[in-house]
Amino acid sequence: MRKAVALLAALLVATSAAAQLPGLRKRAPQPAQPALSGIDALRADFLMRSGADTVYFGQDSALLAVPAKATLAAQAQWLLQHPEIVVRIEGQADPGDTRDHALAMGARRAEEVRSYLVLLGVPAAQLSVATWGKERPGVGRVVTILVR
Amino acid sequence: MTTGRIFSIAAFCAAVAAAPVQAQQPAISVVAIPPMTTPDTGGKGSQSLGIAWQATQMIATDLRSTSELMPLPPNQKDFYSYPEVTAPTFSKWRSAGAKTLVTGFVQSRADGRLTFGCYVYDVDKGRELARKGFVVGGDDWRRAAHKCSGLAYTAVTGAPGVFDTRITYVAETGTGDAKVKRVAIMDSDGFDHRYLTSGDSIVLTPRLSPKGAQVAYVTFAGGKPAVRVLDIGSGAPRPLIVSDAISFAPRFSPDGNRIAFSMMLGANSDIYVIGANGGFPQRLTTAPGIDTDPSFSPDGTKIVFESDRSGTPQLYVMEADGSKQRRLTFGGGWYAAPDWSPDGQWIAFTRRGADGRRIGIIAADGSGEKLLTTGPGDDGASWAPSSRDIVFQRTDAVRRNQIYRVSIDGTEPRKIEIPQDGADPDWSGVMD
Repeated sequence: MRKAVALLAALLVATSAAAQLPGLRKRAPQPAQPALSGIDALRADFLMRSGADTVYFGQDSALLAVPAKATLAAQAQWLLQHPEIVVRIEGQADPGDTRDHALAMGARRAEEVRSYLVLLGVPAAQLSVATWGKERPGVGRVVTILVR
Repeated sequence: MTTGRIFSIAAFCAAVAAAPVQAQQPAISVVAIPPMTTPDTGGKGSQSLGIAWQATQMIATDLRSTSELMPLPPNQKDFYSYPEVTAPTFSKWRSAGAKTLVTGFVQSRADGRLTFGCYVYDVDKGRELARKGFVVGGDDWRRAAHKCSGLAYTAVTGAPGVFDTRITYVAETGTGDAKVKRVAIMDSDGFDHRYLTSGDSIVLTPRLSPKGAQVAYVTFAGGKPAVRVLDIGSGAPRPLIVSDAISFAPRFSPDGNRIAFSMMLGANSDIYVIGANGGFPQRLTTAPGIDTDPSFSPDGTKIVFESDRSGTPQLYVMEADGSKQRRLTFGGGWYAAPDWSPDGQWIAFTRRGADGRRIGIIAADGSGEKLLTTGPGDDGASWAPSSRDIVFQRTDAVRRNQIYRVSIDGTEPRKIEIPQDGADPDWSGVMD
């Protein structure tokens, strides 16, 4: 599972770098240090200092509960200290939901998290949102993933 | 007629009588299908006769799949002469218990193609109901047989047949994180099964264009859901919109010129419409919250969709330009994923309640709600072109998906056989 997440993260780095930032490819050769171990270390630090990369929602709700807000406050603090880091906020819905409503609900939850982080001062440019609907295991949650 | 034949007919009639027929259901019409024949002679004759027999069996299989027609099993030993195709002996079929008679012939042409002649008769009245000729390539006799089945079905029921149609769906292999999803397409009887995407990324909700030339679907290839349109002939996909916004729930208009879909703007999902070949998306809904799953009425003037503007997901209807939005469902519970029937009468939906997700239908004016399945994991209803059957997906307790078909007269859903698990089925219109 952890391996799969790491692999996914690696894929995300590759695809998002290629798809969203064409300028990145024109830049001079990447530094010699292996990029993946760098981001892995940052991820571990992010997880340790903010307590969790995941916040949970009540069923069919996109409202942030108190524990979720506490987690996001810690995440925001870390992100403010690492302005070079870009994260992807991935929303998930519930398996009982219908297919397309789940996509919208995942996106709405991710947007709720994004708005709250912006409210806490995190520059919008550091944040992007995505939704998995009910296409991934895991219920009613939003995961903040360090992209680079 | 042989004793065996008489016995098989008797057994069949008994089976029909024993079947639990609901009171409001129309009587099942027993159909006799003598072996199709040929005017060809010699080597060509036996070749045509071979195809004719295969076609006869296929027509019987097609008609057996309906809830309105009951074909007598064709018997290859019942030689049927060419002149009898257009001049049947009705008394013989009357005594066999048949209400409808389907006859036909196969004739090879000089160019290597085949001419199919297909005739449908009312046995009681002793008159012809319909006839049609088809010219098809030598390898394409299956389509001609399907068209013949459609002719018979329409002659008896007045509704379009679903035999020469296709179903697209999401083929699923593996489980959990390792689940591979590919857009697949097949003839509605399961033949000619193909995969249209490679399985590199998650795909959802493929929707066929009315003539079946294109399929719009959702891909996660870019890391978040986005609609693509794939030309089935060339296999080339293109993005529906140029922006990198989250987009999903595509559906073609009945004329194939427009695609309605959902797009996220912040936390707000709204319904947009765009030209099927591109253009600028026009926004149709503005309510805060989740508006999704648009489906056009068959005349293209209205759109039914799902919205949670009242607090819970419900079905709404609007004009195709977004005006006159009004709520359709008030039955308690949550209503989602509507699909407007091709005859305009019904809207199929998923209802979410304490008993899970079930498929139901409601008249287009909001009356006569009826649940067709018991759930608890049903979703994604799509109408057959006959407007009498619905395909949907059923998720089992271990979250594996299968495709089922249910008739609106409330008979038990039947599983559709596919090579692996499947989800998000979509049934095409009748092919040209």
